[in-house]
Amino acid sequence: MKRVAILLFAAAVLVSLPWWAGDQYQLHLAALIGAYWVLIAGLNLVVGFSGQLSVGHVGLLAIGAYAYAILAGTHEWNVWLALAASGGIGALCGLLLGLPSLRLPGFYFAMATLAFALIVTELVLALDGLTGGGVGLSVPEFPAPFDTAAGSYWLILGIAVIVTWLTWNVARLMWGRGLIAVRDSMVTAQAVGVPVFHAKLVAFVFSGLTAGLGGALFAVMQSYITPDTFLFELGLFFFVCIIIGGRGSILGPFLGTVVLTALPELSAPLAKLGNFFYGLLLLLVVLLLPEGIGRLFQIGLERLRPQRLGSMPIEPQPAQLALAIKAGQR
Amino acid sequence: MKRPILSHLRAGVGALALLVLATGVFAQEPIRIGWLSSLTGPLSSAAIAENQGVQFAVDEINRAGGIDGRKLELITRDTAGDPTKAVNFAKQLVFTEKVHFIIGPVNSGESLATVPIVARAGIPNLVIGTVDELVDAKKYPNAFRVINTNRQWIDGANTYALDVLKRRKVAVIGDTSGYGTSSAKTAAELLEKAGVKPVYSVLVDPNKTDLADEMNKAKAAGADVIMPWSAATGLLARLLNTRGDMGWNVPVVGHPALMAPPIGKLLNKPEYWGNTVAAGYVSTTYDAKGKLPANTQALIDKLHDRLGKSEIDYMLWWVALGYDTVRIVEHAVRQAHGTDPKAIQKVLANTKGLQGVYATYSWSASQRNGFPDHQIMMNQANSFKDGAYRAAR
Amino acid sequence: MLSALIAGLATGALYAAAALVYNVMFSTSKVLSVTTGHTAMLGGVFGAWFLQAFALPLPVALLGSMAIGALLGALTDFVAIRRVLARSDEHLWLLSTLALATMVQQAVALWWGTEPKPFPRIIPQEFGAGVFDQKYWLPVAVAIALAIGLELFYRGTLYGKLFVAMSEDIFAARARGIPTERIRMFSYVMAGAMGGLAGFAAGQLTFAYFALGLTLTLNGFIALAVGGLGSNLGALVGGAALGILSSIATYYVGGEFQQTISVGLLMLVLLLKPEGLFGTRNVRPV
Repeated sequence: MKRVAILLFAAAVLVSLPWWAGDQYQLHLAALIGAYWVLIAGLNLVVGFSGQLSVGHVGLLAIGAYAYAILAGTHEWNVWLALAASGGIGALCGLLLGLPSLRLPGFYFAMATLAFALIVTELVLALDGLTGGGVGLSVPEFPAPFDTAAGSYWLILGIAVIVTWLTWNVARLMWGRGLIAVRDSMVTAQAVGVPVFHAKLVAFVFSGLTAGLGGALFAVMQSYITPDTFLFELGLFFFVCIIIGGRGSILGPFLGTVVLTALPELSAPLAKLGNFFYGLLLLLVVLLLPEGIGRLFQIGLERLRPQRLGSMPIEPQPAQLALAIKAGQR
Repeated sequence: MKRPILSHLRAGVGALALLVLATGVFAQEPIRIGWLSSLTGPLSSAAIAENQGVQFAVDEINRAGGIDGRKLELITRDTAGDPTKAVNFAKQLVFTEKVHFIIGPVNSGESLATVPIVARAGIPNLVIGTVDELVDAKKYPNAFRVINTNRQWIDGANTYALDVLKRRKVAVIGDTSGYGTSSAKTAAELLEKAGVKPVYSVLVDPNKTDLADEMNKAKAAGADVIMPWSAATGLLARLLNTRGDMGWNVPVVGHPALMAPPIGKLLNKPEYWGNTVAAGYVSTTYDAKGKLPANTQALIDKLHDRLGKSEIDYMLWWVALGYDTVRIVEHAVRQAHGTDPKAIQKVLANTKGLQGVYATYSWSASQRNGFPDHQIMMNQANSFKDGAYRAAR
Repeated sequence: MLSALIAGLATGALYAAAALVYNVMFSTSKVLSVTTGHTAMLGGVFGAWFLQAFALPLPVALLGSMAIGALLGALTDFVAIRRVLARSDEHLWLLSTLALATMVQQAVALWWGTEPKPFPRIIPQEFGAGVFDQKYWLPVAVAIALAIGLELFYRGTLYGKLFVAMSEDIFAARARGIPTERIRMFSYVMAGAMGGLAGFAAGQLTFAYFALGLTLTLNGFIALAVGGLGSNLGALVGGAALGILSSIATYYVGGEFQQTISVGLLMLVLLLKPEGLFGTRNVRPV
């Protein structure tokens, strides 16, 4: 009951945001967080659940963004079709990247994804007939009623909720348990019959799909994309959001995304420090709180509302014991 | 004795009226200028110099009592050269700070993203990025470009190479960054329009450690002028070093970054900077007698008053450009008698021959590029002195 | 064409040096640190600073840059490795070294600036020597010297043998009373100093540039993976192959596909021979 009430309250807050948000800028930030979250929710299955450290999802984001801009802009496809296609193309690229690289051990995999992000930037610049090269591409807006700040916010919110629901289902069902087992000990997972490679690959392809979708939404929020938009630092940012929020949780990375997107906007000195700040946060979390800030939140909740274990004093019952001993002897 | 209630009321109303009057006369709403500047990150050197000019002009106007009694309030946001941050800050300036003008951003990649957003909000935008696609009288009627276009730089350099140096075998070298690829493409197009097909053209990674191959290939292709289009000082310095080490005395003609002061320090020998010509401005070029245009000299004198007598060690035109953007705001507000965006747009669209330090600006109903072609001047790259240059012979 | 080969060889030598740094750190800790390239970046930046801002004599500046590199090595061990290795989670070191590398790079960007700055001539030599210029041969010489020095160190000194023992079996080494913590710290300091030396030697080639670190971390890793993890000969061959291949590819195709080609090489080798050219197959998952 209580959980349903909290969920309903959260839903009401999120849906009504356009009415109580201060202005369009704050609404824009909220929508940007939503677009990031669509990607991060999928990436969370890869990083937080299956433990594959991909720092290069910004490459998949760029692919989704360019796919949308090219299909809906240059080729004037239907916007929704283009949106779906950018998700599909993201998934396909995720498959192409995942097939060879997911067989690699941890550091090799991280470097492969880093290289992938650099290659995408390189190809975007080289294929200027398609992508506009350095000049970039203008991104078409969503049609009415999603062309206003509030409209696009609601659309992104809707997609984000669906994606979250999907990942939540994966996380709490057998799949998610299997992925966590892969993360914590690949050998054990293999031994108990988790199809390791298959599980990792499916999670990775799903993250490609959400990265493609997120890329398209992000592109619409930006209204214009150039290769400069998709810096490696952005990939690092996604990654840091998950680690800081806490791996193996959904709420944690979500809080991480919100806080890390909003903080530099609110505080100019933090914005100036830029990556130094992200690096410091990452280091602190890894050293002091490897379970992430989400865990801190959980502990705080438990402090506030300690779990009642109920007192059940156990009295010795010599008579019963004697009976049992006798039964054993017989 | 009690005073009647009415008298209290009357006194109150009187005070209120006075207050209203006072705010109306003495404390009008300030004119808020949003300044999107990449003060950190790549290309920060240009932004820092521009920022000096902007700050200086704002202080100067405020000290003189503001514009029609309204003070200027400068709201600076550091985008660090990141388009995503630039978009966020543009929305913040437009919707939260409710600025009357936006100046910037500095980098083309950022501007391409922010100009449409500011246009949709209807706020006047003074554009200081050079990419040609940035302004469009129909799509973005409120965006007015103050700086020259990329095409104007390239045209100036091409004309110099083809007509003054009488060279026909051109090698075009761009870098693989967004700016480099698009500039190199435009340069090749403009050359072909002039009837010259480049004998060699190549894109180079800006961090490539060595340019010997590219220069050797250019030489083998018979190039008699090298035209680099890149803002990466490291790459340009390597190019000049390679040319010098090869002992190849071919002229290098191209992007203004060729004459940025940091290049001098990256060169193996000072003389490697000779025979190098870069696109610059009439306003920051010494004439035959070693004098600068009067407006520029006046700005230098004022800067010296403020910064002390030491030599100016950055490119002066960035300062002049920043200074002019605020002066254009002043011009627009004075002519429009206020900050109504529509009136401002009308004033700017009908501005003819507005004298600035950096250039003389004219915009029209169909033309949003304010910088006139003839104020581009080719400079000798190694002639830097006190922020300005000598003309190329 | 010759100049393309020589320039590629020089860049490749720098990658090889980064791969050697990886190897030394890996031998005692089984960790591939993201800060590897940053030790060389610091060597170049601080070398330029020492030589120019303070006009220090060459040997002092060289030792200074090596000391700064060693400091980063020590910091990597102290901050990012020590606490993390004690835990069972095998990926945490990737996160902590990535965090440290990010902080170092951004701090240098804020302090030193994002533009490349000059690195002065080390040995008096006329410019215009073409392919015989010291900027090509210094990194090559340093990479070869480092590889030979490492081999001698491993074979001829007690500490070197301790490194080998730890890389073979850290538990057995500890059981035999080797102070593994201290040896690991020593190996990181040594690796950092090697990186600093390589960055210093390649300064004229790369200029003193803040973003060099990540490039070297990636390309040094590619060289390492191609050559075979743990093999010093492999590091040299892998680095040279990567440098020359990408230089030749740039020569024929142009600079637009540089990264794509070098990663293509990595993928090819990993698919055909996952342990690298000179690596040993070492399967020990449990």
